[in-house]
Order: sequence, then C-alpha cells, then structure tokens
Amino acid sequence: MSNSTATRPGMRQRPLSPHLQVYRLIPTMVMSIVHRITGAALYVGTLLVAWWLIAAATSESYFEFVNGLYGSWFGRLVLFGYTWALLHHMLGGLRHLVWDTGTAMGKETSTKLAWATIAGSVTLTVLVWIAGYMARGG
Amino acid sequence: MSDMRTPLAKVRGLGSAKDGTDTFWRQRLTAIANIPLLLFFVGLLIALNGAGYDEVRATLGNPFVSLVLVLVLVSGLVHMRIGMKEIIEDYIHDEGIKIALVVLNTFFAFAIGVACVFALLKIAFGG
Amino acid sequence: MVELALPKNSKIKEGKTWPKPDGATNVREFRIYRWSPDDDDNPRVDTYYVDMDDCGPMVLDALLWIKNRVDPTLTLRRSCREGICGSCAMNIDGTNTLACTKGMDEIDGGVKVYPLPHMPVVKDLVPDLTVPYAQLTSVEPWLKTVSPEPAKEWRQSHEDRQKLDGLYECILCFCCQTSCPSYWWNGERYLGPAVLLQAYRWLIDSRDEATGERLDNLEDPFRLYRCHTIMNCTQACPKGLNPAKAIAEIKKMMVERRV
Repeated sequence: MSNSTATRPGMRQRPLSPHLQVYRLIPTMVMSIVHRITGAALYVGTLLVAWWLIAAATSESYFEFVNGLYGSWFGRLVLFGYTWALLHHMLGGLRHLVWDTGTAMGKETSTKLAWATIAGSVTLTVLVWIAGYMARGG
Repeated sequence: MSDMRTPLAKVRGLGSAKDGTDTFWRQRLTAIANIPLLLFFVGLLIALNGAGYDEVRATLGNPFVSLVLVLVLVSGLVHMRIGMKEIIEDYIHDEGIKIALVVLNTFFAFAIGVACVFALLKIAFGG
Repeated sequence: MVELALPKNSKIKEGKTWPKPDGATNVREFRIYRWSPDDDDNPRVDTYYVDMDDCGPMVLDALLWIKNRVDPTLTLRRSCREGICGSCAMNIDGTNTLACTKGMDEIDGGVKVYPLPHMPVVKDLVPDLTVPYAQLTSVEPWLKTVSPEPAKEWRQSHEDRQKLDGLYECILCFCCQTSCPSYWWNGERYLGPAVLLQAYRWLIDSRDEATGERLDNLEDPFRLYRCHTIMNCTQACPKGLNPAKAIAEIKKMMVERRV
C-alpha cells in the first residue's frame, strides 16, 4: 500500500522506512506491549479455569487428577505466571482508566505510571503467593 | 496494478462506521467490574489452596460464591472477547482470515462461558 | 498478517564509510539512512564523520555540514532551522524529532538518522507524506458555520480561546503520527495522532457549528479507536504538545453525547 500518487509510472517501488527496527523502546511503549501480551495470555488461561471447574463438577478422581497437575511444580509455575499476568493487566487497566479521564498523560507522569505498573504487579504477585502459602502452608 | 483513486478517496474509504464508542464503553465498564470480581476470584483461590474435593465443592456450591463466579465469568469473558477482537483487527489485514478469526473469537468466549457456568450450576444444584 | 519485518526491497544494507575530515581532532560519527530512486540498490546506512569544532550544535547543522563538505547528494527537507516549519522531522537516535531543535549533546555516541518510520521513502531522509496530508484534509481543518456571517468577526470568549492552547501550536511535522505503532499497522484506516489532534482543535473551537458532524465522521473503530494509548506520540512531540490527551478528550466527547 506504499504506492502514492507521487509515484510516476515505471518508477521503482519506494522502500518502506524502518520502524520497529529503529524505534527506541521507551517505558510507556513497553508497558503497552506487555499489557497486550498479558491480555492474550489471560485469554488462553481461561482454559485452565474452565478445566478446573469442569473437573470439580465431574468426579472426585478427575478433580484430584487436575488438582494434582496444577499443584505440581510446573503447574505452580504456570499459575504463578497467570497470577502475574492477571495482576499486571489489572494495574495496566487501572492506568488506562486514569488516562481515559484525560489525566496523568504528561511525558514524565505517564513514564512514572509505566514503571509503577511493573513494580506493582511483581510486588502484588509475590504477596498473593505468600498469602496463598500462609493460608495452607502449601 | 495501479490504483488511480485520489489519496483523499482512499482515506475516506467506505466512510465512518458510526460505531466504536459502544465497544469502547463496554470495555471500560467490564474493566471496572473486573477489578472487584477478579480480586474476589484470586481471594477464593488463595482460600482454596490445598483444599480437597469436598471442600472445593462445598465452597463452589455456596449460592453467593456461585453467583459471584458467574458474574466474574460474564464480565471477564465480555472484556476478553473485545480485547482479542482489537488484537485481530490490529494485526490481521486479510479480510477473509480476519472475519474467520473474529467469529472464532466469539465462539471461544461463548464456549468457555457456557462450560464454566454449566459446571458451576451442576455443583450448585447437586449431581 | 501485518508485516513486522521490512519488505524485501526495504531491507537495509551496510553502506559506504566516508573519510574522516583532515586534521580534525573532535570528530563525531553519523550513521545515516540512504536510498535513491535513481539506481536499483536497496536502502543502506552510510557512515560519516563530522568535525564538531567546525559545526553548529544541532543535528541539522551536522547534516548540512555533511551535505556541504562531504556528500552533496545527501537529501533532506529543511527550511526554518528553528522548529517552526516542521520540515526536518526525522528519526534521530531512535526517536522522532526535528533535526533543527535536537542538540547533539543530548545524544550519546554515534548519531543514527533515519526517515520518519513506516513511510514510503522518496529519497534518503525524505518520506512521502501524501497519506497523512489526505487524512488531514478528511477532518476538514477549518471553521465551519451555518449562521449568517457576523458584521465583523466570529466572537470567542477568552476562556474558550484558551482551550485551543496546546493544539494550535502543532506544526504538522508528523513526528507523532509516524511514532505510533497503531499507525504503522493501520495507517490506511487509523487517522493517527497528528490528524486527531487537529480534529480535536476544531471540535473544541467554540465558534465551530459542525461539532456533531465532526464527531460522526470520527465515530469509527479504525479512524479513532485504533488509539490504544501507547503514548509514543506524546513522548515524541518536539513542540511539547499532547496528542494522546487530545485523543482521550475526543473519546470523552463521544461518550458524553450518548450517556
């Protein structure tokens, strides 16, 4: 679609200037990308929720099987990632809700909010898991 | 192939869809609802960490828990479906593939929703 | 799928390294994007060395130093050299800005210079801005009225005039427009930050009588709502304006008129 009326017939196709290849990554841009990735991860992750609920509705043995998988070290790793994705997306969403009101959109403030999103999501995830282990001792 | 339309004709294209704010508003509405709902869900999972089959069923069968979880599902899935549609529209430019994916996206959200709600009802009403 | 990589004819090759200036002790390296329609080569990046003791402080000074002393074929747009015309917008050190107001002391190490991102290149640092100009035309950036013309001028209160501050200063350099990933992927359908800032400038002009029609024209999943508040626009604007905020205000108007 890079053709424009300024291109004369028989002229060489104009190249597309570099974009992702040269643009410097800045905190707000990176947090926007992470917001999208975590959103997509949560999308796929609903399968885990559905599986768990269906297992609980099916039978004790099937529930123990699924619960066992989720409780394995690999299952816990995935769930830890899922918790982070959820909390990160939630904090990113809060930031978007603030921006939707037209506030905190200055260069410096928006950058600070971007850093706060990642710091907050990592902290909250760790706290949630500490709470989870304290509830039952693992 | 040379396209001899003027740049303005291309930019105006098929005109304004007179649509978009509904989706934008619904995405914000569900975002706000998701905050307490999903925090409840996370709290529930913390409380149920390490719990056995009977305890999980008893908790999920509690009418309050059951109802809130249905709300979690509806709000979350509506939000998720809009979000994925945005991603598809951003990156997929082939009209055929785009429409196919938009349709599949809706099917996926509905399938997850129906499966989860059915499971919750089954637990709640015994069986 | 949207192409995240560059098309075959746009892949950048290593170019020529031009000699260092004789006798210079304070030399700065410049890596500059080159492409000419007059041969069959792909774009390339040439390396130049600028004598900083013989050159002004801005990136534009260095580019003109190269053009005058080293390589007269280096092609770029420039006019006012003081940040008011918007001609010398380009990607410098990974960010879109004006070469004339970007000081070289703000950049560490070698200076990388590319044309505005994701645009067809006319030559070297000159992008084809036909599409953004057509998009600007599509929002009809002029006062629209139906009331009988007043004897003198259309009047506006001091407070209403102040609402145009931070908007009328836009010089249409398109630094913000071409910094936006959403515009990269959907530039044919998304109007982009610069054009939406212009649209908002007319939407909140108290003298304008076409506000509703203007909003109707923007009420579209692509024209307006491809903005995902990535904020590159606001971070890039060399005039310190806030296109992201202007777009947020348009979205607020959209919601306001239906709830």
